[in-house]
Amino acid sequence: MNPLRESELVETRRHFFGRTATGIGSAALASLVNPDLFANTSSSSAATGGLDGLPHFAPRAKRVIYLFMSGAPSQLDMWDYKPKMQDWFDKDLPESVRNGQRITTMTSKQSRFPIAPSMFKFNQHGQNGTWISEILPHTAGVIDELAVIKTVNTEAINHDPAITYIQTGSQLPGKPSAGAWLSYGLGSMNENLPNFVVLHSTVNGGFGGQALYARLWGAGFLSTRHQGVSLRSNGDPVLYLSNPSGMSQSMRRRMLDELAALNQERYAAVGDPEIQSRIAQYEMAYRMQTSVPELTDISDESESVLEMYGPDVKTPGTFAANCLLARRLAERNVRFTQVFIRQWDQHGNLPNDIRRQCGIIDQPCAALIRDLKQRGMLDDTLVIWGGEFGRTIYCQGKLTKTNYGRDHHPRCYTKWMAGGGIQPGIVYGETDDFSYNVTDKPAHIHDLNATILHCLGVDHERLTYRHQGRDFRLTDVHGNVIQDLLA
Amino acid sequence: MLARSTLAVSLGLLLVTSAWAEEKIDFARSILPLLSDKCFNCHGPDEASREAGLRLDDQESAYAELESGDRAIVPFNLAESGIIDRILTDDPDIKMPPPELGKSITPEELELLKSWIDQGAEWSGHWAFESPELSPAPNASSPWRSANSIDQFVHAKLRAANLAPAQRANKETLIRRVTLDLTGLPPSIAEVDEFLADASPNAYEKVVNRLLDSVRYGEHMGRIWLDAARYADTHGLHLDNERSVWPYRNWVIDAFNRNLPFDEFTVQQLAGDLLPAPSLDQRIATGFNRCNVTTSEGGSIDEEYYVRYAVDRVETTSTVWMGLTAGCAACHDHKFDPLTQREFYQLFSYFYSLTEKAMDGNALLPPPSVKAPSRLDTIHRNNLETQRAAVEKQLAELHANIDYQDASNDIVLRSLTKLERTWFDDSLPGVVQTSGDGESAWKYVEAPDHPVFSGKNSTRQQSDGLSQQYFEKAKQKLKVGTHDRFFTYVYLDPKNPPETIQLQFHRDSWDHRAYWGADKGYNAGKKGTTNHHMGDLPATGEWVRLEVPAGDVGLSVGNEIDGWSFAQSNGTVYWDKSGIISVLPLNSSQLESLNLWTQFREQVRHPALPSEIQAVLDVKSAERSADQQASLRKHFFEQVHPSFSTSFKQPLADQASLNQQLAELEKSIPATLVMEDLQEPRQAHVLERGEYTLPREKVDSQTPEWILPRDESGPANRLGLAQWLVNPKHPLTARVTVNRYWQHFFGTGLVKTSEDFGIQGEYPSHPELLDWLALDFIRSGWNTKRMHKQIVMSMTYQQSSHFGPDKLAVDPENRLLARGPSYRLDAEVIRDQALSVSGLLVGTIGGKSVRPYQPPGLWKPVGFGGSNTSVFKQDDGPNLYRRSMYTFWKRTAPPPSMSTFDAPDRETCQVRRARTNTPLQALVLMNDVQFVEAAREFAVRVLTEGGDDVETRLIFAFRTATSRRPTDTEIQRLKQLLVEYQTIFEKSPEAAEAIISNGDSKPNGDVDPTELSAWTIITHLLLNLSETVSKA
Repeated sequence: MNPLRESELVETRRHFFGRTATGIGSAALASLVNPDLFANTSSSSAATGGLDGLPHFAPRAKRVIYLFMSGAPSQLDMWDYKPKMQDWFDKDLPESVRNGQRITTMTSKQSRFPIAPSMFKFNQHGQNGTWISEILPHTAGVIDELAVIKTVNTEAINHDPAITYIQTGSQLPGKPSAGAWLSYGLGSMNENLPNFVVLHSTVNGGFGGQALYARLWGAGFLSTRHQGVSLRSNGDPVLYLSNPSGMSQSMRRRMLDELAALNQERYAAVGDPEIQSRIAQYEMAYRMQTSVPELTDISDESESVLEMYGPDVKTPGTFAANCLLARRLAERNVRFTQVFIRQWDQHGNLPNDIRRQCGIIDQPCAALIRDLKQRGMLDDTLVIWGGEFGRTIYCQGKLTKTNYGRDHHPRCYTKWMAGGGIQPGIVYGETDDFSYNVTDKPAHIHDLNATILHCLGVDHERLTYRHQGRDFRLTDVHGNVIQDLLA
Repeated sequence: MLARSTLAVSLGLLLVTSAWAEEKIDFARSILPLLSDKCFNCHGPDEASREAGLRLDDQESAYAELESGDRAIVPFNLAESGIIDRILTDDPDIKMPPPELGKSITPEELELLKSWIDQGAEWSGHWAFESPELSPAPNASSPWRSANSIDQFVHAKLRAANLAPAQRANKETLIRRVTLDLTGLPPSIAEVDEFLADASPNAYEKVVNRLLDSVRYGEHMGRIWLDAARYADTHGLHLDNERSVWPYRNWVIDAFNRNLPFDEFTVQQLAGDLLPAPSLDQRIATGFNRCNVTTSEGGSIDEEYYVRYAVDRVETTSTVWMGLTAGCAACHDHKFDPLTQREFYQLFSYFYSLTEKAMDGNALLPPPSVKAPSRLDTIHRNNLETQRAAVEKQLAELHANIDYQDASNDIVLRSLTKLERTWFDDSLPGVVQTSGDGESAWKYVEAPDHPVFSGKNSTRQQSDGLSQQYFEKAKQKLKVGTHDRFFTYVYLDPKNPPETIQLQFHRDSWDHRAYWGADKGYNAGKKGTTNHHMGDLPATGEWVRLEVPAGDVGLSVGNEIDGWSFAQSNGTVYWDKSGIISVLPLNSSQLESLNLWTQFREQVRHPALPSEIQAVLDVKSAERSADQQASLRKHFFEQVHPSFSTSFKQPLADQASLNQQLAELEKSIPATLVMEDLQEPRQAHVLERGEYTLPREKVDSQTPEWILPRDESGPANRLGLAQWLVNPKHPLTARVTVNRYWQHFFGTGLVKTSEDFGIQGEYPSHPELLDWLALDFIRSGWNTKRMHKQIVMSMTYQQSSHFGPDKLAVDPENRLLARGPSYRLDAEVIRDQALSVSGLLVGTIGGKSVRPYQPPGLWKPVGFGGSNTSVFKQDDGPNLYRRSMYTFWKRTAPPPSMSTFDAPDRETCQVRRARTNTPLQALVLMNDVQFVEAAREFAVRVLTEGGDDVETRLIFAFRTATSRRPTDTEIQRLKQLLVEYQTIFEKSPEAAEAIISNGDSKPNGDVDPTELSAWTIITHLLLNLSETVSKA
């Protein structure tokens, strides 16, 4: 590449125009003459703005929907069936199992580590007879689409470092999140919507639970344009999207035309290519003012689809509504959508709370899988479910047969993946009788992230960014693609 | 960014490749970075990952015979140099770099290597680790009339690249550029006009001097420094509660404004607390390294966080002062630079012994902290303390002058005359009706079945839980006299004793209560006269007399009570005769006797008596210490003795008032986080893979010797570290600092990677200039303002920034500086500029952070329920219009209008901001109420200050926003738009009203709404112009 050509790829050029940057002026002007020409070109699968040479190989998935259960759901009460534990009720966790493993200071001063067997019934579902807890009846219905990974593990034992770790590959703030990496590497497939969208879910109408942090969808040292954009259920879905009161869209159009014309004048005088780029950004902003409301307006969804997601789907901000929105974003080829739902941090009163949480997420999760499938989109959409770590077999606080709490457990926990590139209907890995240690096929969170990138056609070792003299990547210097998970 | 850095490299190579045939290859510039990038992974400083015993970061090893018998590099001898074979071979087993590493040597790089070996493979160290060298400024014949040394270095380089410098920018551009760069605010039209009118040769220098003297200079430079300091108003991790370290921000602003030399600026921030007799200011400065993120997440392990905090401080300190990516050496020896893991932990040791706790407790001021009074506070406090000392002196003198003989020293006060008035016994005082909520209301019972103290009956109540019996609206009221005490008789059933008994007295309300036993009566939990605790429950099975001083329950002389209540929690209780006793006070001659007064007060308590005096009185007189006696005596003279106390009255009142003022002042004085070391340092270890659980050998505080040996006579603590950093011989500090200054004015540093001066960092575009500036900076006594002035006075800085197509093609990033700087303004400057041109800006300097507009509901979806920053409450009034550096920075949800324009998250140290250009930025400028409101106020200014006709007003508006006159086309276009919008708003007065009602401030009522709304569109458009949000 000659320097001039490359200069068009530098920061000042937006990925929305990316490789067609030479045509930027004419594109912008065309849209000025006829705004409709651009107003509804929603999406195409041709990406713009990614890196040369990416994807590294043919991707199996084009986009990701990541359902993040913040607070760490208990694998013991949902997925990791441990029938032998029924005989261990209130007996001490053998030291040979814990083996000196560090535990949080919330329970390290407990005099005992009494075992709390799950109070929930497990049944076998699907072609492989996968054991699933009774509190996930809908998810059980789509089990043949899922790859359940029982051996996910991490080193972090507290929420902040753990969630930062799984999202960015580092326990310390400052690194880009997975969605930002993919936006940086693969570019955008939709000129009218952000490339990485974050959805926050309410629980019982409010937020609460473990804190989240902007860094979880941040771009770290990558350009800020790769950071996740929150799509909000209250107020403007995208910040500052609405015109100020008193300004209609036609008035806005006229003002932008004039703005572009004056900016063009200036460009002619000083020749700064940044000015043309800015004209294009204003056009994109204008298009977002149309495309975002169209995205969030679900009046075009059929009753049967809405029914599938459950009654909450009509209440904006609920997990059900967000799952539907995630599908609509996927349809529009938004690269990475991350749905957060909090309040899984069940140190006490776990049975009640987890029942409530499953009641919220179970049906929408299953509906999302079915909905993607019926539209033929599950093949190239990767869906991921899970939290930042697991929970302990031993009880935190008072133990009865029907009430107990569980502390943080990083050594094994369960997540599931489905869709683009993932082997459907399998269970991966095994844990010991206490769901304390991995006995077969560990899946470290770096391995998981490597696998996610792999599904998108990205070699996790080759998607790097030079920062402070070092080539950083999502998986740091670790991670192996889990071949057994791949279809 | 990747594209950008490849560009820089290829540009560098382009220049090199064209020249290498004739020119000598510069090892430090061309070969070392290549070896570092492609080979150091296995043949670099990191011993643990070294292969084949070969290190290419070390001349001796690179030239030596290896285990295999080969030599990697043989000077002048390509054929014998194994490195070339290894690159050329097709055998994947021996090919270098190994294919699986994903790095390969390009043909150009290979040619470079070969030429270098051919030329004799001359070796040198990495440029940045060698001392700067003073090269004389090239004597380039410059087209610039007044060139300074900077210009001569730049021009020499331009000539070598066949580029001509640009003309000087016009005066309007220049004053806008330099005003924005030095103050972060645009120039006013008056300032522009003054400059335009000034034809003197030093007109520009006058402007520069004025700006350097402006207090806005310190704010602007300080704001940029705060990125490096990772300053924020919350802890950052988990709860992300508020913290108070903003007095440190004040310090930074002030330090720039008083031009604190950079060496002192350094020492005070890193080790101000360790200076001999540190001033308050010097301690506040150490807030720099308390700005790191901290946690108090439940379950966290202290040891882990002590390590993390110290690591962060090493990384930050290394980045800011040395451009060293030290963090890489936390887990292993640095892969590229000679920093070993051991050296990392020696640096770590400096920061590992703070008195801070690992858990911040989610507190506003996790210790150590200091009170940080403003100058005004200090003056005020000194003043009050001086006054108080004078009053205390006066009091002492009064005491000293007392000549006192107690005439009644021997008299024993036998019994005090008491008047006892029974209010009710067997019947109630003119009461029509009694009430109660226990077993029965006011139940009289008689002997012998029940205990009776007086008369024929007593009242009885049995209760399960809390209950009472009472009467009110008594016709015969009970009047309270001086020193009066209520009394009653009570009998607690020994078989069923209560937990609490309580008396309640009714005046205007029942808020006069006294209780014995557990706090389970009415108004339980309250304190004071509404629920006064008298003591333990009395003995059971006998009649006991209870007394309650009227003052204890908030009743004073002259008050009349008309109701009485007996209350109890559980148990069975009998009550009998009740009333009031009055004590005859001492007469005035008796009051002259300390002896008599003391005896009196031993028997008669007074609620107003100071508790410490009451405590002395409660001690038996024979057992009182001399001190206790003295305090009684003092109190007696000051408060009791009729004539002495008169002379004490005024000074005591003055003293009380001063004490109260001081207490209030102390309460209002903010505090701020500071550094402080433990008495016994915490022992640092090398940590295997950086894991706090895997300590290896012990290490003590020490600086890397290969950078510069430390003066061992200096202190072996942070102070020693700071002094080492600003040692004039330190190869990095001055270079790194002037490079950041350069970056500030030109957008890109002479070393583009301003955070990395290591081998992987970019080679300087003008190495001699960088060294010259660094040495000049040191020589000047680390004079920051002087350096800033030197840069902006250069013709290089003053060039026009117009992009000629030729220059764009050859040097798109303007690294060779053939034109002036131009780029988008920082987030803060964009907002401050809008506030400034609209006249909304509130210029208050310093202080606590403020909460201007942000869209609702941003903190809630991420905030932890228990966090004190989970709900955003917007400020109102002036706080909406302060400079952006004062905006409250919540780390886990930063202000969106700032982060959208690339303000860093402030979680980690940042010394270089990105500059993106995104549609979300367009949305902020289009729709953020801050900008719409500013546009309206800007329009008000246009209409009230901008002249009378449309054209004059347009010129005023345009000049205010951009500092330049609009062209005729621009005027025509804006005029046309104005007319269109005037028509629209005439037809739609509601829209006009709505447009001008955005924001909390109210529009000027004297201005016609249609006119104002149409102009608001114009001014809003001007605020959105690419030119307005850029400096050029």
